[in-house]
Amino acid sequence: EEEFEQIDFLKDRHVRFFQRSLQVLPERYSSLETTRLTIVFFALSGLDVLDALHVIDKDNMIEWIYSLQVLPTEDESNMQRCGFRGSSHIGLPYSSKGPGMAHPYDSGHIAMTYTGLASLLLLGDDLSRVNKRACLTGLKALQLEDGSFYAVPEGSENDMRFIYCAACICYMLDDWSGMDIHKAIEYIRRSMSYDNGIGQGAGLESHGGSTFCAVASLRLMGRLEETLSERELDRIRRWCIMRQQTGFHGRPNKPVDTCYSFWVGATLELLDVFQYTNYEKNRNYILSTQDRLVGGFAKWPDSHPDPLHAYFGLCGLSLLGEPELMKVHPALNVTQRAFQHLQQLQQAWRDNVSSCT
Amino acid sequence: PRPPLLCRKLSGLYFIEDRKEWSDLEPVPQDDGPNPVVKIAYSEKFTDVFDYFRALLKNDEKSERAFTLTAEAIELNAANYTVWHYRRVLLQALEKDLRQEMRYITAIIEEQPKNYQVWHHRRMVVEWLSDPSEELEFIADILSQDAKNYHAWQHRQWVIQEYKLWDSELEFVERLLEEDVRNNSAWNQRHFVISHTTGYSDPAILDREVQYCLCQIRKAPHNESVWNYLKGILQDRGLSSHPGLLERVLELKETQCSPYLLAFLVDSYEDALETNNTRATLNQAQEVCALLAQVKDTIRREYWLFLGRSLESKYGPTAAPQSDAASSDAADQQELS
Repeated sequence: EEEFEQIDFLKDRHVRFFQRSLQVLPERYSSLETTRLTIVFFALSGLDVLDALHVIDKDNMIEWIYSLQVLPTEDESNMQRCGFRGSSHIGLPYSSKGPGMAHPYDSGHIAMTYTGLASLLLLGDDLSRVNKRACLTGLKALQLEDGSFYAVPEGSENDMRFIYCAACICYMLDDWSGMDIHKAIEYIRRSMSYDNGIGQGAGLESHGGSTFCAVASLRLMGRLEETLSERELDRIRRWCIMRQQTGFHGRPNKPVDTCYSFWVGATLELLDVFQYTNYEKNRNYILSTQDRLVGGFAKWPDSHPDPLHAYFGLCGLSLLGEPELMKVHPALNVTQRAFQHLQQLQQAWRDNVSSCT
Repeated sequence: PRPPLLCRKLSGLYFIEDRKEWSDLEPVPQDDGPNPVVKIAYSEKFTDVFDYFRALLKNDEKSERAFTLTAEAIELNAANYTVWHYRRVLLQALEKDLRQEMRYITAIIEEQPKNYQVWHHRRMVVEWLSDPSEELEFIADILSQDAKNYHAWQHRQWVIQEYKLWDSELEFVERLLEEDVRNNSAWNQRHFVISHTTGYSDPAILDREVQYCLCQIRKAPHNESVWNYLKGILQDRGLSSHPGLLERVLELKETQCSPYLLAFLVDSYEDALETNNTRATLNQAQEVCALLAQVKDTIRREYWLFLGRSLESKYGPTAAPQSDAASSDAADQQELS
């Protein structure tokens, strides 16, 4: 069988792709302004998966990330708005330490708090400059009666994505007081669809992204096997495994897209059945979306790469055991190495607590 | 048509900084510090609009010029949720015409139907007006351009549930399924409507739905959505409980076979095994698993083999007696720590 497509993995191109993402982007990326910290996460975690973090200045990066923390003001009147910003778009003067500056519209964003903490972690930071109490107060203020979360205290849409962000934040800070786990679990259960996948909310179409968010959140909470019966788990396994066409799609009868190799692949891994997928077809698809010139990956072949698909394409390959790539923790979505750093940090926190009491 | 940007230098108008009605305001630049990361290279025009936006924000100014500027900022970046929030604050503070705002947001969504902020904004305006009367038609138009737009379906479900607009939704779903029987979003909506109205408990309704599925399967057999729907409405009652269905499926297997049909068969056999474990039924299930693994769904070969092994271990001669699943608290504790 003739092979027209090239399926070799161009590691160095991807390193350069992420390096460039971290520098200057053209104006056509302006819609990413408020989410720049997530782009930083994709690039940094991508470099981590490529075992290439040495190419960046970690200390400078850490300072910049800390400048995005919304810290409590002197009178702590803004505790419920604390967390991390996506960027400096509000216009506060640059500051990487406290106290917080009062501003009528300055608040954290749940996805930025999540990616901010994860980025600090993978850079080897010890989170000692994170005001954990403020972050958790800010997080708690975002949870709704139905168990789901807003992204910002001013209000926004609410769905499974932000439950996942909340679970990651609590997991990293080793403190679940930031959320009502029981309510979140109920929201997850209500989002299970008749077809055994999980939607963004009750009644909504099941989707690979929300299925990952739900299952990964339950795993991080330590409640996966207690919330879902073995039969329910089998049904979710079946729904997920049916998403493979060549690569994976996110919903039945939709086209495949590189990022679902992670969203669905990681879910299958969390459910112990990723081993039963077709590795060759998945790998071939992901590599067919590789941009051989500028690096990175796109959702489809012959399309423009972007940091999100570049990152999740790599994670998809990592799940497949691609040599040269670091292993990724399928629930927390950081390298195993970053995960181990977190475990050490948390052990030290616990040791500190017990030596004080 | 929406008003044009006020500061298009190319068309001869001036930047905001050149206009005297803004001269009292000191623009506020973005400050990324000494080592900016993922810096976006904005044009002068873009910077101009947002530097003034930041100044208004800082002072929490509630004025007509602020309101006008939010439209310019939105045109440059409709994903900036802070601009949208500020616009909503102004809509209320200045008691703006919400009907006009509906016209505005309609146009923006038509241009950018996959943006989260614009749909959230529309929802807020509809709530303030307590008027959903334009929604179903508007969403139908968006869906006519992309029949699977998740935001559109989400907004539609919210409107229908909030304002109890169930009456013509099943008809809408059927129209979409006639256009594309493989539209999974439409099948999902079918389940949404029926489960919230008649429900599936009435045997007449359940049978109507089963017949509808079988009809759609005959027309387009290779369609995961219809099989998922059929399984979904029956699985909690027991797949093997609907009289005559297994026979119909076995008939379809001859002429309209698909991996989904065969998976449905395996699941039906497993359901039967739960109440009446016989070697004969187990063998039938194993045969279908083998057919899937070797011929009909080879991409999932390893999974179907795994499923075959699971069935054997659960229902075969060496199976342990059925018991409640042991709790895995120990594993959970380990996960938490």
